[in-house]
Amino acid sequence: MTSAGAIERVLLAALAAFLISVPWSIPALINSFWVSVIAEILIWSLFAASVNLLFGYVGLLSFGQALYFGFGMYGVAVGISDLGLSFWPAFGLGIVAAMAMALVTGIFAVRLTWHYFAIITVVFSLIFYFLALTNKWLTGGDDGINFTLPATFSLGGSSLSFTDPTFQYFFILATVALCFWLMHRLIGSPLGKAFLAIRDNDVRASLIGLNVYLLRLIAFVMAGFLAGVAGALFAFFGRYASASYMFYHVSGEAVVWAIVGGAGTLLGPLVGTAIFIVVREIVSTHWEHHALIVGVVAILVVIFAPKGIVGLWHDWLTRLTERGAEPAVETKLRTEP
Amino acid sequence: MEKLLLLAMNGLIWGLIIALIALGLAIIFGLLDIINLAHGDFFMVGTVLAWATLQSTGSFWLAFLVAPLIGFILGALIQRVVIQPIHNVAALSIVATFGLSLILQESVRISFGPTPRRILPPIQGTVHLFGIDYELYRMFAAVVALAALIGFFIFLHHTRLGTWMRAVRHDRDTAIAMGIPAHRVYVLTFAIGFALAAVGGVVAAPITTVDFRGGVDILPFCFMAVIIGGLGNLPGTAAAAILLSFLEGVISSVADPTVARISSLVLMSAVLLIRPQGLFKGLTR
Repeated sequence: MTSAGAIERVLLAALAAFLISVPWSIPALINSFWVSVIAEILIWSLFAASVNLLFGYVGLLSFGQALYFGFGMYGVAVGISDLGLSFWPAFGLGIVAAMAMALVTGIFAVRLTWHYFAIITVVFSLIFYFLALTNKWLTGGDDGINFTLPATFSLGGSSLSFTDPTFQYFFILATVALCFWLMHRLIGSPLGKAFLAIRDNDVRASLIGLNVYLLRLIAFVMAGFLAGVAGALFAFFGRYASASYMFYHVSGEAVVWAIVGGAGTLLGPLVGTAIFIVVREIVSTHWEHHALIVGVVAILVVIFAPKGIVGLWHDWLTRLTERGAEPAVETKLRTEP
Repeated sequence: MEKLLLLAMNGLIWGLIIALIALGLAIIFGLLDIINLAHGDFFMVGTVLAWATLQSTGSFWLAFLVAPLIGFILGALIQRVVIQPIHNVAALSIVATFGLSLILQESVRISFGPTPRRILPPIQGTVHLFGIDYELYRMFAAVVALAALIGFFIFLHHTRLGTWMRAVRHDRDTAIAMGIPAHRVYVLTFAIGFALAAVGGVVAAPITTVDFRGGVDILPFCFMAVIIGGLGNLPGTAAAAILLSFLEGVISSVADPTVARISSLVLMSAVLLIRPQGLFKGLTR
């Protein structure tokens, strides 16, 4: 029983050790280009985690998280290029903009569930996508806004900024790790348990006195926070913001990453994102039609591992460690013809 | 005034074509509980098949036979291979059809090429109508789309297969108990959905461009029609498609087309929040 937990702790430690060693090990093993690929994976996995928080833990499938990612991006870009803010205020502006937008749209969206929720979130994101396309004076439309990055820390004459790739990597790693740690704490907290109760049965949850509407709204704003942090980081990382990142395809990719990795597991989004981006980076240098492989992988995982890759791993691990104990009935018999 | 009339007419005719595609989406949604993100690409496949038929046989008209047939077969195949194994779980269906959408787009990009192409209207010339010269092919497209719409509703209400489809949608378990082969009805529904979108693609091909991304813009519009018309309300879906497209045409005669699109999206959010059963609930049976 405990050995499953022990194996997972060892793996987690190995993952942490790997991620910390990336700026030195990866250039030695492959080349330094892959350091920025891993940084990108970390950012996008945070975005996928925002889908996962809503779908995996509250049972709301959002197809419009790109809206909050976009607001995080534009908060940073507009803050730096139009308002002349420095690093931290711009970072804050991006996150606040994303959360405020999540609050305003969430007030309406979380009144709905299931199909209706998925569709209204995509509708909201489309409205602002088209608004961003037309209001070029603010957003730069499809071309976007380019900006020069201010220093992150400056003390006296010396300063640290994203121009140093190692600092950039560790800043992203620390921010993403902090967010995942916060999510881990959230899931273990009474609030997280309330989320799970709503996911499993919202009627029962309301009968034991939970305010389902308010809790869903809180989760929605929290997911907006995660998407906003991801968007802001991506703006710093790419030094630009563009309306094209608010299109529904971007939201759709995050849904796919989260579900393929394993919805309702903490690290599922990281696994899913890593697989797809690594495949994309490897294949796209040889073959321009890498999207074909992404499509096939998405379908295969959904058919053969409906709980996602991490879900499959959990099942496999428990079966392995509990062998010899009572043989559990593994899958419910489906009676559908 | 002439511009208004022209854009309103264009909107109306485009609405008839969208109605065809949206009906396909609506029956898949209503019967299989699948949010089909690949539906826009089904339309796109129709436009490409029209182009391919024209290139290989020299006849555009043949496409009206070829495209629905290939669409039907592909639809049946996709239902069996991709949709059936996931047991109609809505969340998984979104991922699966998103993957499907990528596969269709990339396959077309490989075979057809990345550059958009145009098909010349097979009927040239214009008619003088209400003081404007209007393209004859668009009139023809309206007639074809309308005929296909009427044909579909006749099929749904006056044939045995159509009755089965309605029965399974109404009450699946009772329908199975009455001996209706529900699984074959699912395959059939998905196939018909694909075929309807493919017909829409053929009709629209000479009006729009043939492009592997041609479905991306169509998809949100079809969803709008399905939602505003009311989930599962097929006549409502068709009416909403025509109404929406007509309104967008009228609005874009005075403002930017994007403004028109934003207004219909806002209308859709209002419908979702205030009347989630659709705009026409109570008007039709």
